[in-house]
Amino acid sequence: MKLEIGNFQVKDVVFGDKTMFKNGILTINKEEAMDFIKEDEHIIDLDIVIAKPGENIRIVPVKEAVEPRIRPDERSVFPGITGDVEATGSGRVHALKGCSVLGVGMHYGSFGDGLIDMGGDGAKYTLFSELINICIVAHTDEEFERFEQQKKNRAIRWATHRFAEYLGNTVKSLEPEEIETFELDPITKRTEEINKFPSVVLVMQPQSQMEELGYNDLVYGWDMNKYVPSFMHPNEVLDGALISGSFMPASSKWSTYDFQNFPTIRELYEEHGKSINFLGVIMSNLNVSLEQKRRSAIFVAQMAKSLGADGAIVTEEGYGNPDADYILCIAALEEAGVKTVGISNECTGRDGASQPLVTLDEKANALVSTGNVSQLIELPPAEKVIGELQALARDGLSGGWAYDEILGPSVREDGSIIMENNAMFCGDRIAGWSTKTMKEF
Amino acid sequence: MVKEIERAGIPVVQMCNLIPVATTVGSNKIVPTISIPYPLGDPDTSKEQQWKLRYHRVGVALDALTEDVKEQTVFKVKI
Amino acid sequence: MKKAIHYINQFFAGIGGEEKADYKPEIREGLVGPAIALNSILEAEVTHTIICGDNFMGSNTDEAVNTILGFLEDKEFDIFVAGPAFQAGRYGVACGTICKAVKERFNVPAITSMNVENPGVEMFKKGIYIFEGGKSAAKMREDVKTMANFANKILKGEKTGPADEEGFFPRGIRAEMWLKSGKTAAERGVEMLVKKLNDQPFETELPIPKQDRVPIAPPIKDLSKANIAMVTTGGIVPVDNPDRIQSASATRWGRYDISKIDRLESGVYKTIHAGFDPAAADADPNIIMPIDAMKAYLKEGKIGKLHDYFYSTVGTGTTQAEAARMGKEMVGKLREDNVDGVIMTST
Repeated sequence: MKLEIGNFQVKDVVFGDKTMFKNGILTINKEEAMDFIKEDEHIIDLDIVIAKPGENIRIVPVKEAVEPRIRPDERSVFPGITGDVEATGSGRVHALKGCSVLGVGMHYGSFGDGLIDMGGDGAKYTLFSELINICIVAHTDEEFERFEQQKKNRAIRWATHRFAEYLGNTVKSLEPEEIETFELDPITKRTEEINKFPSVVLVMQPQSQMEELGYNDLVYGWDMNKYVPSFMHPNEVLDGALISGSFMPASSKWSTYDFQNFPTIRELYEEHGKSINFLGVIMSNLNVSLEQKRRSAIFVAQMAKSLGADGAIVTEEGYGNPDADYILCIAALEEAGVKTVGISNECTGRDGASQPLVTLDEKANALVSTGNVSQLIELPPAEKVIGELQALARDGLSGGWAYDEILGPSVREDGSIIMENNAMFCGDRIAGWSTKTMKEF
Repeated sequence: MVKEIERAGIPVVQMCNLIPVATTVGSNKIVPTISIPYPLGDPDTSKEQQWKLRYHRVGVALDALTEDVKEQTVFKVKI
Repeated sequence: MKKAIHYINQFFAGIGGEEKADYKPEIREGLVGPAIALNSILEAEVTHTIICGDNFMGSNTDEAVNTILGFLEDKEFDIFVAGPAFQAGRYGVACGTICKAVKERFNVPAITSMNVENPGVEMFKKGIYIFEGGKSAAKMREDVKTMANFANKILKGEKTGPADEEGFFPRGIRAEMWLKSGKTAAERGVEMLVKKLNDQPFETELPIPKQDRVPIAPPIKDLSKANIAMVTTGGIVPVDNPDRIQSASATRWGRYDISKIDRLESGVYKTIHAGFDPAAADADPNIIMPIDAMKAYLKEGKIGKLHDYFYSTVGTGTTQAEAARMGKEMVGKLREDNVDGVIMTST
């Protein structure tokens, strides 16, 4: 399978007469863009705001992030979401690099939403502080979940995917500045030279724990709560087969942008043919009962073994009870003789003294740590807020609170904030971007 | 929390689904439940079935309080 | 200039060896023994030296500690240093004991140094900075220097690094840190895997800690006379959540009267736990807090009494320290009513 990603580096995003991409500048006709997004009648109030790296801007509640893309051959970018269900992972896709479309609540947040600071000390946490963000700031008519802590956020999430494709149209027929090629031969048809390297699989555990549909990650538009582990091509992940859900605390989340650019996949490609033979991805899931967790670990270990994997990397989109899925899976692989490394964050508490993962197993002897979800973060007021700052304190974001006898509310009168890393949008960069680690102090 | 209760000399049984979590945190008497969101009654089954399961497993937990165990023990349930 | 106080034993004060190990605590103005070396490197003035015999500290710990804390009551100091104790067991334990007490009473940083073999390391490393020192006094200069360099960072308000960089024993506190190398998790993960595949040494970023076990409490002899209490970490509370228990990283708990009800009704109780889909528990809270089943067993006489309250908090993200505190608070209440056994449900 061969995927070509044609890159267009976006140096600036501005509003103007015509929506187009020229000389590194993405120009958006705001009125037309608003009309397009409002084709979804559930969006009842809307603004589009641009936020650039270094600006004194705070964005909250952020629900989703997507890289603008388009396929020259007319297939949809996100099959099952923005168009028909069709195979992804091969052919050509064009990408606007250095920017992302953010889905932001105009008023209301939910458990899995997060915060992004574009400047100041808060900007060191998330990758999205380094990108030009085209923010869809929307209010919807989804009354059934208006005051629920858990929200599906369907209208806003779908708007980000649709709008990312809409913006992608600007480069549909242009010639990319750079083309990246991702190609793996079928496993049984590889050259001797490749086969001499140890074989490696990547095991991904996307968030799929909500039994009510509509909150989980989707694969080809399919809710992953109704999914069992199977073998996927890494190109499918990089090419829009998966989109992010609306449940996991923000710092432990994989946004759709993360899937589209998954650094751990890119790194395995990088080493393919140099030090490893990258077999592909075992796409697993995260569950809510021990029986389900065990079943998935069995599926994964069996597939890895049958594929002839010598090594594996396991990575989870979550913390807390998902750690049980993560550790069970690592242990099952080790028991099957597959040498395994895990990549995840930890929850050592605000004091740093708690057990880092909810389950531990001595077989998990090679772990990479990307951060502490409960690290307290205190930040000064920002000049401008995109969205609604109170959402952090009021709406049950996983790292925010309305009341605390010692720390006070997350949002203070002067606009300064105190929160847990939990509420930093993709703050632990678990997809593999993280340059953070955890150390004993 | 279980440990603080046990440390005080009060026997305690933890009813939970994630046995590996309970064993990792140091619970000594564990009775399994069926899932995280609904430990003692699957909403897809009838009220009567849910009650039977809950009544049975709570009974196992009560009996477990009287058991003289020497190491971490996961008690067997029938339904 | 900032000020420091140094603790040493009778031997390093030049008072005597084993025969003087019962020497009572004494405070002297100025520098004695290793304090001279410390004072020369430290960016603070060592104003006093405290001397105490190792045996006196070991056998009359309370008296020794209280006397020394009394010495310090009217002194101004920004940092407290003890030792280095090398491999001397009693001296190491004494340094750990006094550092811990001083830190707790005066809330100043306390620093000591000992060899990894010193029993004081295991006993005290969680609470204070213990630097890894040499086996014997031959390493005096180096060990004092290591402590002083770190103390200087603290005195200047500089950010201190992780245990392995600074050289102190890990205190059981794990915190995030940005890597100077700028290496991403993806690069680190693949690199670690390649090493593991090639049987080369690699270093995990999360060493699996050893578990702390509690002795198993004696079982209940006669259940039909026993008083049983119910506790949950599943966040079941009255619908208005009167104790404002947080839906994650909880620091609060509540207890709710169940003496006059037979079950927890939907609409009256709900779960505030944010870590899972609440629909099922909101529709029937008994599936997390099985009051209905307990009441049935009470009526049947299987148990003698059901404690009048159930106790509730949220387990997800809650620190062990907070959980332990809440557990202790609950135990206080349980003891008041002579509770014989507890069933705890978790989600």
